[in-house]
Amino acid sequence: MSRLSQGGLIDRSSPLSFSFDGKTYSGYAGDTLASALLANGVKLVGRSFKYHRPRGILTAGSEEPSALVTLRTGARAEPNIRATTTELYDGLSAISQNRWPSLSFDLMSINQLAAPLLAAGFYYKTFMWPAKLWEKLYEPVIRRAAGLGALSMQPDPDSYDQNHAFCDLLVIGAGPAGLAAALTAARSGIRVILAEEDRLVGGRLMSGTQTINGERAGEWTARIFAELRDMPNVKMLARTSIFGAYDGHIYGAIERVADHLPEPAPGQPRQCLWKIAARRALLATGAIERPLTFGSNDRPGVMMAGAVSTYLHRYAVAPGTHALVYTASDSGWETAAHLLSAGVDLAAVVDTRDTLPAASAALARAGVEILANARVLDAKGKALRRVVVRNAQGRTRTFDADLLAMSGGWSPAIGLGSNLGARPVWSEEIQAFVPGKMPPGMIAIGAAAGRFSLREALEDGVKSVDSITDELGVGGRASETFIADEEDVAATPLWAPSEGKTKAFVDFQHDVTDRDVALAAREGFVSVEHMKRYTTLGMATDQGKLGQLTANALLAQATDRAIPNVGTILSRPPYVPVAIGAFAGHHRGDHFRPERHTASHQWAIGQGATFADAGLWKRAQWFSRPGERDWLETVTREVKATRSGVGICDVSTLGKIDVHGPDAAKLLDRLYVNMFSTLPVGKARYGLMLREDGFVFDDGTTTRFAEDYFFMTTTTANAARVMQHIDYARQVLWPDLDVQATSVTEQWATYAVAGPQSRAVLQKMLPDIDLSNEAFPYMAACKFTWRGLPARLYRLSFSGELAYEVSVPAHQGEALLRELFAAGGEFDITPYGTEALGVMRIEKGHPAGNELSGQTTAFDLGMGRLLSRKKDFIGRVMANREALLDPARPQLVGIRPVDIGQRIGAGAHLINAGAAPVAANDQGNVSSVAYSPSEASWIGLALLRNGPERHGERLFAYDPVRGRNTEVQVCNPVFVDPEGVRVRG
Amino acid sequence: MVEGAELVPMLGMGIAAVMARRGADMTHLAALLGISAMPVARALKAGSGEIIIGTGPEMWLVISPDAAPDWGESLAERLAGVASVSDQSGGYALYSLRGAKARQLLQKGAFIDLHPDAFGRGSAATTVIAHAGVILWQTEEEAPAFELALFRSFQASLEHWFTVALAAMAAAD
Repeated sequence: MSRLSQGGLIDRSSPLSFSFDGKTYSGYAGDTLASALLANGVKLVGRSFKYHRPRGILTAGSEEPSALVTLRTGARAEPNIRATTTELYDGLSAISQNRWPSLSFDLMSINQLAAPLLAAGFYYKTFMWPAKLWEKLYEPVIRRAAGLGALSMQPDPDSYDQNHAFCDLLVIGAGPAGLAAALTAARSGIRVILAEEDRLVGGRLMSGTQTINGERAGEWTARIFAELRDMPNVKMLARTSIFGAYDGHIYGAIERVADHLPEPAPGQPRQCLWKIAARRALLATGAIERPLTFGSNDRPGVMMAGAVSTYLHRYAVAPGTHALVYTASDSGWETAAHLLSAGVDLAAVVDTRDTLPAASAALARAGVEILANARVLDAKGKALRRVVVRNAQGRTRTFDADLLAMSGGWSPAIGLGSNLGARPVWSEEIQAFVPGKMPPGMIAIGAAAGRFSLREALEDGVKSVDSITDELGVGGRASETFIADEEDVAATPLWAPSEGKTKAFVDFQHDVTDRDVALAAREGFVSVEHMKRYTTLGMATDQGKLGQLTANALLAQATDRAIPNVGTILSRPPYVPVAIGAFAGHHRGDHFRPERHTASHQWAIGQGATFADAGLWKRAQWFSRPGERDWLETVTREVKATRSGVGICDVSTLGKIDVHGPDAAKLLDRLYVNMFSTLPVGKARYGLMLREDGFVFDDGTTTRFAEDYFFMTTTTANAARVMQHIDYARQVLWPDLDVQATSVTEQWATYAVAGPQSRAVLQKMLPDIDLSNEAFPYMAACKFTWRGLPARLYRLSFSGELAYEVSVPAHQGEALLRELFAAGGEFDITPYGTEALGVMRIEKGHPAGNELSGQTTAFDLGMGRLLSRKKDFIGRVMANREALLDPARPQLVGIRPVDIGQRIGAGAHLINAGAAPVAANDQGNVSSVAYSPSEASWIGLALLRNGPERHGERLFAYDPVRGRNTEVQVCNPVFVDPEGVRVRG
Repeated sequence: MVEGAELVPMLGMGIAAVMARRGADMTHLAALLGISAMPVARALKAGSGEIIIGTGPEMWLVISPDAAPDWGESLAERLAGVASVSDQSGGYALYSLRGAKARQLLQKGAFIDLHPDAFGRGSAATTVIAHAGVILWQTEEEAPAFELALFRSFQASLEHWFTVALAAMAAAD
């Protein structure tokens, strides 16, 4: 055990039991999985991505690249979880990844022997040929060999919540800078959100022994936390990572609501995705320590110096017994002092620099061996046992050590600060990139701004808020100042490749070495972005938080450039991995998107309807009856019942738009190709709309109910688009017209009553309206009152039969439907669905969605004669382009198989008899197909070159998808009642 | 007041979409509706009990409690020549959302600022909850009480969202 006897922010009265790779250990409440493993002396926790090298725990935070485990079991198992941020709970179960058969003996570690083949870009070079093996063989094999954890492949049993928040100031990070800022802002009275990824606030103050205004940092933190927690204008979000900055001052955040529990309480979401709108944001995310580049710098036992301090102070864990500190920065000396006072045997402090900080004197006095201007060459042992060092004189020395604390200096954690294309700038002073122009509304403070001392962090926290409240003109000014002791924060990074014999890693998670960066440069990948993609550096889940700058510096060196000339990458969300379930929230499974139900949805369910999706709408597709073998039998029955008797279909999903105003007729004349100003009140007319480019946009019937009021219908699919089109025309094209438009799709439940008996049914139900052909002819419309409600009746037909449409306000739709069925009972009235509707429209040759594909013109659809020559309308000019009038364009025809029993399929291409079925011989394609009960044959609509002139011709419908090549005869697209006698009957 | 939040359907109300005719006299329109001025992003209650909600430029939703079936037609006659009226009595579902946590729950659904300073009594907005468009307003009553209108076909989806969001909120307490 390496738990210290006292100290730490752990609760020693709450021991917790957990297991790692099946073995049981114990820790305390307040531990992370990483600190508990270290306390139990477990150093080896995983195998690396590519070379399967043993890996341990490198950091104590969310930047961890190595200590990735699969947490939990069964459906809740989640791979690639950072042990360093996983809060320990009783019964926690974790297993190591990327090893077989066991963590300590991993057969794939022979990859290390093949290392020369596995250098950066190896898969581009090694698996090039034969190319067809790539998808089937190479990629799966490489992925299995190189993958990290595996998914459970079971549905996620947890739920994910979503929430929104608004504030004047979002403080990202609750370290000293963030706390000082949040307190200052909160006291000024503005609305503040403080988001901290950790469960505790304090940041670096939990890893050291600082004082603020003479008060111990821990006490200062607790006092400020308590004040903030009780203020009504402050929202504290713990365990919450801000993962992205988006347009409009919006930030994405993931709150880990229940990840610290064995499983969420009943009903409790596991995580919550926040969208936060913040007028200003402070990036107080601190800094991330950089590793040093030396041989086998990835060995378990090699750890970031700052992390060592965190384990000592926050978790009361000594990560080793014999330590060596290797540093290029003053902060490494601080860790050396921490190790010494924790009673860890300190073998040596190795500094890359000539000049040592003042703190070195105390260590020298304590008898610690100090090597200035020295280099660590190699780490030895599967878990660290020895460290090989070259001293200033060039002599090689070997130290026994099971812990190497390294510090290559600190890089501001500016990931979020370089979202939205904000490019960081190089700071010569701190030898790191700092925020330049930031995402709008964001300001970096403290270590995130490259101001590393505690004094500067506190100062930034207060001053930044003062400038923000001034700028926004809200709140009062700060009253308090926070003073901390001066501290040494200098660093002189060693931008050089390893001088050791073994592999030196730059990106630990993706196994990218200093030599891979040099190789990228040699191969010409000298842009930092190309180097990134060639080596995959920075592309793992840690996004290169530790290694990016070192790699940039090595690339600069290899290409003889300065680091600012090489530059650095930009980052984009998410800054930390976010479970995809959190983005879905409650919208999963059947609730992935909203469903729209028509007024008689429940009625249709009761009738055994099978539903089809039409956009968000659920539409009854057919109504199966007991004993029917398949849908085709059902649909055929529905068509026959309608054509021979009477059927009823819910057509409520069609788009419906009220067009009001003195200029309503004028607007419709401009929207439709045909004339509407001449339409008499009480009549409906079919209308066709073009897009501005002359292609068909939509169609439908529009009824005039008053001089200044038309009722337009659209297709279901285009309802919203037509409404937008009209609003655009009203507001942008012709704002001078006095016309108003409102979508009333939802207001009216509409039922088509079709078939030779439809008049009898409706006349029975509506005895007060004369429905005779003379009084209410085809395309007539009227308003009437049904049960005191406004109702409407139209004589319209999509089926080609004598037919009507009846509408009432939707909340009474089901009641109307029930009354229609009651009236139709003696006529054996039959409900039909969208499939029968489709069959009947194909039999009648009416174009629908498949023909209104956005690629067809009015001429193509045989409706060229509708284009009025007496007026202008949207699309008129472009529709008359020569190419669109070419008779060789595919135009609407009907087809039927020559051999009556044969099937044809929509999508088949038409080829002349005797011609090879190749694209060059294409004559057109089959757009819609149905089995026609009326024709007792499969029939289709097709778009065929010179179509109208080719009725009677025989072609082949070539359908390679279904493996068919069917001989068909071209015919009139109107199969049933081509003279239109029935609709007028 | 309920402890958490409850979503109560409001039935039997007359609903109409009203759009001003071009160049209409707004004062005249307001007078016809019994209010002093046409509301913009506000919900106003007239002496008649009718609520007039500003939903867009020169667009309003008018809601009438205990409306007769022909209320929409009669409103159209009342506003003839000044505004166009589309009866929407069957087009929208209306809900009342009440309770101590009503605001907190709505905030989970709507990405508009519902802080009392930003969205107080009589405030109105058109927004999106659970991928469905809604018109949302706060009544002028004492307790924070919200009302919302959404196209009726989305009712089941909204009610499902309300149930799961409420459960998540309850479990968080």
